[in-house]
Amino acid sequence: MGIEGPFWRAIAVFRVASLVYAAVLMAQHRGYEEPVLGWLVIGVMALWTAGATFAYAAASLRRWPLLGIDLLVALACLLTTPYVEGVSQGAEGVMPVPATWVAGPVLAWAVYGGRRAGAVAAAVVSAGDLWLRARAGDDPVLINGAVLLFLTGVVVGHVARLAKQAEERMQRAAEMEAAQRERERLARDIHDSVLQVLAMVRRRGRELGGEAAELGRLAGAQEAALRQLILGTPPPRQAASSAKGAADLRPLLLRYGSPEVTVSTPATPLVLPLEVVQGASAAVGAALDNVRAHCGPEARAWVLAESGEATVTVSIRDDGPGIPDGRLDEALADGRMGVARSIRGRVAELGGEVSIVSIPGQGTEIEITLPT
Amino acid sequence: MVRVMVVDDHPMWREGVARDLTEAGYEVVATVGEGGQAIRAAGAVRPDVVVLDLRLPDMSGAQVAAGMAAAASPPRVLVLSASAEQEDVLEAVKAGASGYLVKSASREEFLEAVRRTADGDAVFTPGLAGLVLGEYRRLAAQPAPVEGPRLTDRETEVLRLVAKGLSYRQIAERLVLSHRTVQNHVQNTLGKLQLHNRVELVRYAIERGLDAD
Repeated sequence: MGIEGPFWRAIAVFRVASLVYAAVLMAQHRGYEEPVLGWLVIGVMALWTAGATFAYAAASLRRWPLLGIDLLVALACLLTTPYVEGVSQGAEGVMPVPATWVAGPVLAWAVYGGRRAGAVAAAVVSAGDLWLRARAGDDPVLINGAVLLFLTGVVVGHVARLAKQAEERMQRAAEMEAAQRERERLARDIHDSVLQVLAMVRRRGRELGGEAAELGRLAGAQEAALRQLILGTPPPRQAASSAKGAADLRPLLLRYGSPEVTVSTPATPLVLPLEVVQGASAAVGAALDNVRAHCGPEARAWVLAESGEATVTVSIRDDGPGIPDGRLDEALADGRMGVARSIRGRVAELGGEVSIVSIPGQGTEIEITLPT
Repeated sequence: MVRVMVVDDHPMWREGVARDLTEAGYEVVATVGEGGQAIRAAGAVRPDVVVLDLRLPDMSGAQVAAGMAAAASPPRVLVLSASAEQEDVLEAVKAGASGYLVKSASREEFLEAVRRTADGDAVFTPGLAGLVLGEYRRLAAQPAPVEGPRLTDRETEVLRLVAKGLSYRQIAERLVLSHRTVQNHVQNTLGKLQLHNRVELVRYAIERGLDAD
């Protein structure tokens, strides 16, 4: 049973207590001229109290028809009041026959449907109550009861909704935790077995050389990929702690890591607007493609992401031959740096800047600076 | 002869590393698969260098590194880990490890790293440089009650170049410094961070009254 169970039990207790209160008022029969009719009404109320208690306890019966009947029964019992009170009707201090019992359906509506439903039920019951008072010629018509009912409906509805939401959230959190634990268990198993073997194959392969080295390289690439996978590097998604539409740049960059590409980041998230994160990641991918295209598939590259004051800087460096002084513009012109130029356009759209530095013998470096 | 201890929970890897070390002329004094056992063994066999895997069944790499650093004559700890365990690497280095190498490094790179660790040099990979750089930025951005450690402009410059994959020789060339000076700058960035970490731990202990008993 969920969080709703206690609510329904509390309402049942309230109904019984109100029923007893109504019966006591009837027994004292001050101002009730027709006690027989009055006891008949109390009898109906007792039957419905018992019926409602059982019906509401069953989750399959808790539907709008039951709630509708509940409200109609309460309203009907309320509207018998003038007949029970007879000629003395409307005397000072005489309660309608069901007394506080009429709040039962209001509570039920509030718990089932939230504060709006609670307010609607309160409005229906209050309308009946106020009509009785107006008919009896009360002057002024006292609206205390109506206000209290309304308040009950809204507040209980609100609280019930909050409680349900809290329960759902806890449920989700528990599920996520279980999934996480399972993932960690798998990660441990894989770490202990497959990864170690792959790492060993790569290591021995490289030592043996030749074809074995190629096998080793492949094993190494798979090892890196599997490691990223079990560490749960997620696809682009919103950082939990940040504002809407912002994400951490690091997971996207770490995906580029391979035996040839080293990715260095801080240990803390680099939070940027979502579209900047995606744009920056694509720009880094383009830069790495550029490195492979011009320096060969075996070329090494390094990606460094760092945070500055209100900026995030991503640098991509390769260990190619570099471009001699003064040749950079020429290289830009003859298309060798075509991709770099397209990176420049892409980054400018995100409000960032690109600088290209090349030192002969130390490779070429593309530095992308983005505003946070 | 340099005495080395290997800590890794996978026997196959452990033996492979130990064999490489022995072939290269190191004395492998112990191979262990658990953190607690490693700290006890380090106290008993007194290795000069510990090659430490960060993923151990019983404790985190940072805890093991801290346990080793607390010994009377602490060994130098070289962390050997998967590239994807970056946060753990930072914690281990702050706790006293003096070098970090990815497991995908070649045999030659590994032996070179052990040699340099034994010589007392910090072994920085680009990944570690990125983490250390990020850690200094984080400390600088924090409204700390006490001034945290700061990098000098030159140290920042050197660290960024290390993170971008330049070798010390290339950095020395580019900044017109000696190889030794580059090495010292790198060493300093690590030393300041470890000192800050120890100061933080002590302050935390005093604040919590853990020094009372």
